Amino acid sequence: MKPKSLFSLMTLVVVASLILTACGPTATPMPTAEPPTDVPVVETPTEAAPAETPTSEASATPAGPSTIIIGTTDKIASLDPADAYAIRDWEVLKNISEGLLKWKPGTAELTPALATGMPEISADGLTYTFTLRDGIKFGDGTVLTATTYAAQLNRLLTVGPGETCPNAVASSLATPYVKSIAAPDEKTIVFTLTSAIAYFPQILAGAPYVASDPKTFPADKCVLFPTAPIYGVGPWYIKQFTSGEQIVFEPNPYYTGENKPQVDQIIVRDFADPQTMSLAVQNGEIDIAWRLLGPELIGQLEAVSGLHVGSVSGGSIRYLIINHAMKPMDDPNVVKAVASLIDRDEISDTVFGGKVSPLYSQVPPGFLGASEAFDTMYASPNPDKAKEYLAASGYTEDKRLALELWYPPEHYGASTAAWMQVIEKQLESSGLIDVELKPQEWSTYLPALVGGKSYTAGVLGWFFDYPDSSNYLDPFVYNGGQGTSVTAKETGSINGKPINETAAKLVDLLTKADTETDLTKRTELYKEAQDLYAELVVTLPLFYEAEHVVFHDNISGITGLASPETLNIGPTLEFNYFTLSKK
Amino acid sequence: MSPIGLIALLIGIPSILLLAYVFARGTVGLRRYILTRIGLTVPMVFILATLVFVVMRVLPGDPVTSAMGPKGTPEAIQRVREQLGLNDPMPVQYGRFLWGMFTLQFGNSLIGGHRPIVDEMSERFPATLELVIPSLVVALLAGVLGGALAASRRKGIVDYSLRIYSVVIYSLPLFWFGLMLQLIFGVWLRILPISGRIDPVLGAALARTTNLYLIDSLISGNWAAFGSVLAHLVLPTITLGLILSGVFVRLTRINVIETLQADYIAAARARGIPEQVLIYGHALKNAMIPVITLIGLQIAILLAGAVLTETVFSWPGLGSYLVERISSRDYTAVQSVITMFAIMVAVISLAVDVIYSLVDPRVRY
Repeated sequence: MKPKSLFSLMTLVVVASLILTACGPTATPMPTAEPPTDVPVVETPTEAAPAETPTSEASATPAGPSTIIIGTTDKIASLDPADAYAIRDWEVLKNISEGLLKWKPGTAELTPALATGMPEISADGLTYTFTLRDGIKFGDGTVLTATTYAAQLNRLLTVGPGETCPNAVASSLATPYVKSIAAPDEKTIVFTLTSAIAYFPQILAGAPYVASDPKTFPADKCVLFPTAPIYGVGPWYIKQFTSGEQIVFEPNPYYTGENKPQVDQIIVRDFADPQTMSLAVQNGEIDIAWRLLGPELIGQLEAVSGLHVGSVSGGSIRYLIINHAMKPMDDPNVVKAVASLIDRDEISDTVFGGKVSPLYSQVPPGFLGASEAFDTMYASPNPDKAKEYLAASGYTEDKRLALELWYPPEHYGASTAAWMQVIEKQLESSGLIDVELKPQEWSTYLPALVGGKSYTAGVLGWFFDYPDSSNYLDPFVYNGGQGTSVTAKETGSINGKPINETAAKLVDLLTKADTETDLTKRTELYKEAQDLYAELVVTLPLFYEAEHVVFHDNISGITGLASPETLNIGPTLEFNYFTLSKK
Repeated sequence: MSPIGLIALLIGIPSILLLAYVFARGTVGLRRYILTRIGLTVPMVFILATLVFVVMRVLPGDPVTSAMGPKGTPEAIQRVREQLGLNDPMPVQYGRFLWGMFTLQFGNSLIGGHRPIVDEMSERFPATLELVIPSLVVALLAGVLGGALAASRRKGIVDYSLRIYSVVIYSLPLFWFGLMLQLIFGVWLRILPISGRIDPVLGAALARTTNLYLIDSLISGNWAAFGSVLAHLVLPTITLGLILSGVFVRLTRINVIETLQADYIAAARARGIPEQVLIYGHALKNAMIPVITLIGLQIAILLAGAVLTETVFSWPGLGSYLVERISSRDYTAVQSVITMFAIMVAVISLAVDVIYSLVDPRVRY
């Protein structure tokens, strides 16, 4: 055969194979999910979907009942529990491992996980003692002892704040609270705290406190992206981790807890673009789309038949940081006037089509003692009351209040400019305020705002580190308050010096609530604190966002657990893959 | 050996052999030309890298603050800045950057896990390579064949249609065109995958040697994975390839028309050689010379297009990596990727020029 003919033939073969592959019955073949050959096979729970015979033939859906594919645009920043801090990092860690305590799926209710029961707390509230369950093993069969566990937890105090843990934030959930972690015997773990903290069990249920494998995460340094397989003591282990592409989870064959996986494999695929992820869930390339689609895409997906959109009232809030040390916000009448003019419903309806909810306290609904203090106090929009406040400070139509409002145009989504314009319109509707909107790039914006020295007011978002009201109030009051300056920043104490008597009362209430272990009393303290918070307008809460999980008809959570309609994702936003099954 | 090392070997060794061959067999002028081009490439990459270094720092924004968010304490931010050398004087940072570039180590990423840039590029570069090469093939097939066809049907409906096609396709926004193809073939017809490089389940079982999934699946004899990779390549390569094909259609068409007016074509026609043979066997071959030059020029556009294509199709290559890192002000990552792109463009342009001299012996440098 002549070279030219040979070339033509090869070209023909390549083109034909491309066409045949592209136009075949499907683009995505069935999975072959096999448990590791060197470990025992997991016992399948009775309610589990039957495993299908693996086949290499193509099918109309991306994966058979034994595999569920989840899409996300969230990025992994670190997988070391002493360093990891992003939401996605924590989701991965909480699926491959467990801590002494955990939240019941779909709720914010604490329950023992690796511990046999809730902790014994000393009378002074400084010592927490846990007993480990029997038979806890890592995915490679290694037994977890209290000594190993305590040593690994101590990494939060030793390597966590050090150079090898560059994210440098995870350890902040240990170093301020924990003095020491010890294992007096192979079954007991004792935490000694720096001071009594009522919400310590909530912190303990977080990802930094899960058991980590000493072979993967050594005592002297952080390992942010270990090589797979990565084992914990949770229901899953990471079989494969391809950065920027996907993580493959398979059941931990030595798992002895109650959260047994119902499928053979979970694959979490990375997406660069939410639009592509929304198309991928529509055409069945992925079974579930989880974080972060945005209100517009969610609206479109709600209309697609065969898809369910579950809405999880999460703790992601938006608010205005108000700098009480800068003019004109150092005038209580001005901040109260601003609080009286905001119409949260209008923001929700006109910009988000009702996909976000108005927020009337810095503590979102569902958290301990959450109230609607701002609504009670200001009943906004109330332009008449706002005019009274402004008039009391000498502002008239001829002498209008000039107000700068800062915001990052991209960081909280492209719609930020739109809702800032709504706020501008609302404030200017009083006829007494001239608003100047000031967009600023995020990394310049953030230190200027929370530094408390540059901007009078600006937008910020918050998501809890642990699901407790203290995490929504303390950071904005204590020690400079993220730029609110209701307390002084450089005072040497964590609380800082309050700017006035009301702020002093607020600091006092929050300090009491931090140590109060009686839930009823603590609830009352937070209610009272929120009233003072609203009176001061420490920050101005605007709205909170629901997280959305989009999934196909054939995917379900466990009906016996809370929130099956959102695949058992509850207010903690923890996505437990073990609850998932596929018909 | 790392995937990037393997690819460097696969591409680098043949390139060096080609250059050595041409250098040994070529004329004095060609040798001088090659040496001059290599000499010019070094300052070109250096100037570009310096420009990127300066621009990234002139732009507002700090990678550490951006990554840590409101929960990062000033102390922690300062500590990480110190650790990453961001508090060093600018000349010191610049010197470090140049040394990193010279040693091809590029330093560590400034965000997330602060991983070595070489490792991150090793993971991402094969994906980009696997996207741009087939895209170039699509662009050439569609462009050259379309151009030749238009020339052969000059002033006919086919010619006009292809001319309109070439203008329209080149003017289309890439992200929109990609999205339309995703909607039609992925969502409505459901015959093609719209994202990623391989079916996730097959990807989970694929042994990765080069990170070029076509090659990895062939090496492991995994035909299901091979088919899946091909299927995943179709939409991104068609998107990028067709967008680029417009220029090739126009250039090929005009060159084939010009060549068809040459004396030797008239002579061949007089000898009764069929028109199709004249066009595709004689005229097209000669018209290809400027097309080869254009390939060199289009490489930069191809890589720029890959950035958008990778984002639209969630293709985990260097392009989507670049977009991700620009938004988080990851100076070292952005500098390294752009430098890498610049080196690629320079090397490929040089290779194209060398090939040009081989294809057309009349060319003298």
